[in-house]
Amino acid sequence: MSDESTKATIEVIGLRKRFGPQLALDGMTFTVRPGRVTGFVGPNGAGKSTTMRVILGLDAAEEGKALVDGVPYRTLHCPLRHLGALLDASALQPSRTARNHLLWLAHSQGLSARRVDEVIEQAGLGTAARRKTGGFSLGMRQRLGIAAALLGDPPVVMLDEPFNGLDPDGIVWMRGFLSSLARQGRAVLVSSHLMSELEDTADHLVVIGRGRVVADTSVSELLAEAAGGRVTLRTSAPPRAAQVLHGAGATVLATGPDTLGVTGLPDEEIVALLARNGVPFSQVSAHRATLEEAYMELTRDAVEYRGIPAGEATR
Amino acid sequence: MTATVTPRPSATRRAEQSGFLRTLHAEWTKFRTVRGWVLAMAGALLVTIVVGLLGTAAPAPGGHGADAASYPKGPGGEAVNDSFYFVHKTLTGDGTLTVPLRSLTGVADTGTGQTAQGAQSWAKAGIIVKESLTQGAPYAAVMATGGHGVRMQYDYTHDTAGPSGKVTQESPRWLRLVRFGDILTGSSSTDGSHWSEVGHAKLPRLARTVQAGLFATSPQGKQDTAAGTGFSPAVATGTFGRPVLTGGWSQSAWSGTQMGGDAGTSGSYTNTTKGGFTQTDGGGFTVTGAGDIAPVVGGPVMGVGFSVENFLVGTFAGLIVVIAVGTVFITGEYRRGLLRTTMAATPLRGRVLGAKALVAGGFAFAIGLVAAAITIPIGESSARGRGFRVFPVTSATEVRVVVGTGLLCAAAAVLALGVGALLQRSGTAVALVIASIVLPFLLATSGVLPPRVSEWLLRVTPAAGFAIQQTLPQYAQVLSVYEPSTGYYPLAPWAGLAVLCGYAALAFGLAVLRLRGRDV
Amino acid sequence: MSLLRSARLTSTADGAWRGGFGRALRAEWTKLRTAGDMGRLLLLAVALTVAVGCGTAKAVKCPDTGCGQDAVKLALTGVTVGQAVIAVLAVLAVSSEYGTGMIRTTLTAVPNRPTVLTAKATVLATAVLISGTAAVLASLLAGRYILPGNGFTEAHGYAPLSLADGSTLRAAVGSVLYLVLIALIGLGVATAVREAATAIGVVLGLLYLFPVVTQVVNDPEWQRHLQQISPMTAGLAVQATVHLHELPIGPWAGLGVLAMWAAAALLVGSLLLHRRDA
Repeated sequence: MSDESTKATIEVIGLRKRFGPQLALDGMTFTVRPGRVTGFVGPNGAGKSTTMRVILGLDAAEEGKALVDGVPYRTLHCPLRHLGALLDASALQPSRTARNHLLWLAHSQGLSARRVDEVIEQAGLGTAARRKTGGFSLGMRQRLGIAAALLGDPPVVMLDEPFNGLDPDGIVWMRGFLSSLARQGRAVLVSSHLMSELEDTADHLVVIGRGRVVADTSVSELLAEAAGGRVTLRTSAPPRAAQVLHGAGATVLATGPDTLGVTGLPDEEIVALLARNGVPFSQVSAHRATLEEAYMELTRDAVEYRGIPAGEATR
Repeated sequence: MTATVTPRPSATRRAEQSGFLRTLHAEWTKFRTVRGWVLAMAGALLVTIVVGLLGTAAPAPGGHGADAASYPKGPGGEAVNDSFYFVHKTLTGDGTLTVPLRSLTGVADTGTGQTAQGAQSWAKAGIIVKESLTQGAPYAAVMATGGHGVRMQYDYTHDTAGPSGKVTQESPRWLRLVRFGDILTGSSSTDGSHWSEVGHAKLPRLARTVQAGLFATSPQGKQDTAAGTGFSPAVATGTFGRPVLTGGWSQSAWSGTQMGGDAGTSGSYTNTTKGGFTQTDGGGFTVTGAGDIAPVVGGPVMGVGFSVENFLVGTFAGLIVVIAVGTVFITGEYRRGLLRTTMAATPLRGRVLGAKALVAGGFAFAIGLVAAAITIPIGESSARGRGFRVFPVTSATEVRVVVGTGLLCAAAAVLALGVGALLQRSGTAVALVIASIVLPFLLATSGVLPPRVSEWLLRVTPAAGFAIQQTLPQYAQVLSVYEPSTGYYPLAPWAGLAVLCGYAALAFGLAVLRLRGRDV
Repeated sequence: MSLLRSARLTSTADGAWRGGFGRALRAEWTKLRTAGDMGRLLLLAVALTVAVGCGTAKAVKCPDTGCGQDAVKLALTGVTVGQAVIAVLAVLAVSSEYGTGMIRTTLTAVPNRPTVLTAKATVLATAVLISGTAAVLASLLAGRYILPGNGFTEAHGYAPLSLADGSTLRAAVGSVLYLVLIALIGLGVATAVREAATAIGVVLGLLYLFPVVTQVVNDPEWQRHLQQISPMTAGLAVQATVHLHELPIGPWAGLGVLAMWAAAALLVGSLLLHRRDA
């Protein structure tokens, strides 16, 4: 992640766009960096697809700009060699075969038919490539969309809700695939309205709500923030334990007849303290927040988080 | 869809019936909640009216209000030509006129100073009893014609054939017309002593005092060439012997009148001839005239004027919109997969299509009906204001045209729906339906094809439906160009509409079969 | 990253198509070629044009000298019908992309929108030019064999149809160009209104309404003006080989009117394509 300013990235700077009375984008700003999977999450209608369409030059923003490799997408000569995108996997003319669909795309970028066969292999389309796309399942269409996105071997890949309609096998495949793209050094932007889909895949998260970024942070930071460092302690002597821990500077809350919630001390230190003071305890467990919980909390009311300085974006 | 293999209990059937109403209600809600469709239908109404009125908005040749003329109307309300040279006396009460007709000749001006001798086939000379000298007044006449033998005609539209054969010096015809109350009887004879009745007419409430006497008239000459039909001015001259009168005739001398002042829309004097009469030695008369005593028909002989269907030319524009909406009403469901939701809500596929057809057809019917009902009166009064003649029609005909225009739109919408369901592609379906309705019409009326082929096109294609708008009448005793290019359809109004409806029913039926037999 | 870059470079091929427009052109050509129904529609257009031309030539008789018929126009009557198919084809070339949402993929691959439209127009025009030429030549050939049997003989003043005759050549070339211009109108209208049914309605309305309305217009001057601006009537004036002075508009001028309509349609289409979110 060194020398980020010169690497191939997507930069979104202060996008603003209205659909009638509805403010779709309200100062959307974030950056996608190479070598990692950036999750782009937010509830339905938060502005994920609109942002992606603006990045691709399909929609025009009223204010702000979106840059790919430092320039607006529409000025790129062979754009698919800079950015591969999958917006709507069903946007196909049903009478054309999958291979021919990739072929015209390849020709638009000056690529040969050989490259088409390569991506067909890569996306696992196999023999289905010679069939008309009209009869494709959603999963097959997603694979075809992935193949189209990879066609130009782009350093940046952008996928809109790629997990939609995939079966469990497909989801596993997609996760591995996204990670492998990042390992190859590519910048990967993946949108989803479900945090759980991204939990094991994304290295970095851009959480949006109501057209603006509410958190731009790494996954571990977000988790830590949501968990708040709370430890659950089960003991037969709650008052004694509370006294000892309080004395060490921790905040202690009774959460049940024999359980305490402790914040302000890491779990190893709690164990050491209790042992040193001879307080009996049967269980010490660090509370592990799920990404989903963190996300729910963040997006519950996007406005509340307007001022939060978020992770790397503030650097 | 209520037809089932096994009879169902009546409760189920009732549920089925209300089921159709529910489906209908659902489809209606679907239709009216797509703003684009409702706007498009309103647009269809608007273009039908606007195109119709603009298309007929040309100023009259004589300038604004130059000649606020209208066609003379016969006793039945129909437009008539009533132009002939009349040598007449007043007849009060009953009476008889007998006269020998020694010859019927004519001359036509075929252009650039050339003339053709010979009476036109519908040139007429004979005896006429007419209520007054006003154009359109009731009459009865017995006459010889240039090519159709002796005829008894009355009140413009009635025509009875008598003995055939031409009148020449060698074979003169004696004609006799008897008035007895309101019954007029025409007879003819080849020798003046052996008479045969040609026909009789009952003219109800015929005035006691009428004008009666001799007449001659001739419509324009018609020449058919491969390049088209030409009309040339023509006059006819009848040479009569001495008329014999019995009954209540006035004692004054015979007087001559050019009825109508000119030769009407279907006749024309040549540059060198005009109407008139001379009395010959021995009490006979030579009468020369041009024009016709007959209903006005369409084509070149109609003159400058509009017929009701002219104001409805915008129907073509409206139909294009109706067809597009009718198609998308079903293809839109295919494209967006909405059809699966529809079929899940109403598994009976024929019922869904039936409800759709009823909604689209009903809406289209209303559009066509309202558009015609608005356009016709505005167009008529505006055209009259500019000095155009408007071909009069009876109220029944007008109702038929207005309702028919609605049905035309409805049938087109159902056809579009059916074709849309069959092809499932809106673009192709819209093009196919528009082309199948408008293209045959254009080809048939362009004048490129021979009339036989044009008429065949308007008989077997959906374009036959436009026949429902035709108001121009056709009469065997009036020569004109009765072809698609002049507004004449080969099929009767309702028969033509039935052809279009047949196509719509066929497309709808095939669509139901296809929808039932396929996965959606 | 450097490895990736080099891999990208090796996957580049076909130097002949290096230019941006060339690439777009080739992509559009591949698209048209592989759409499935495009080839069928082109064949249908040719078949209908020739069939209607033959039918008309068989139906019209010339019994004597000076029957006043235009033999070349007769043989090319099928263009009136074939144009409907061409219009459908042109509209579908755009509307089917909007209908499926594939237009976004197209504009992602070639973000320069005028380039996309120009490439589409070029490919479509070429396809129509080729099939139109086939249709017109076949129609004339059929007319050459059929018409003499119906009285269009030397004795009646009709030489066999031949492209060596200047006016016949003009009618033939003009008819092909007419079809190309109809395709461009369809393309422009479809780009402007996007929806296939609407686009077809607009194009066929534009073509058919003028001649229908002209029939009821009573004023000869108005009638003439209507014929002069009507895309179909004016455009088909190029098929005339006799009585040229009686035409409401000259052959090439008439085709020029149609070209103006096509230019206007393409202009409106490209303006809207440029301004609109895809």
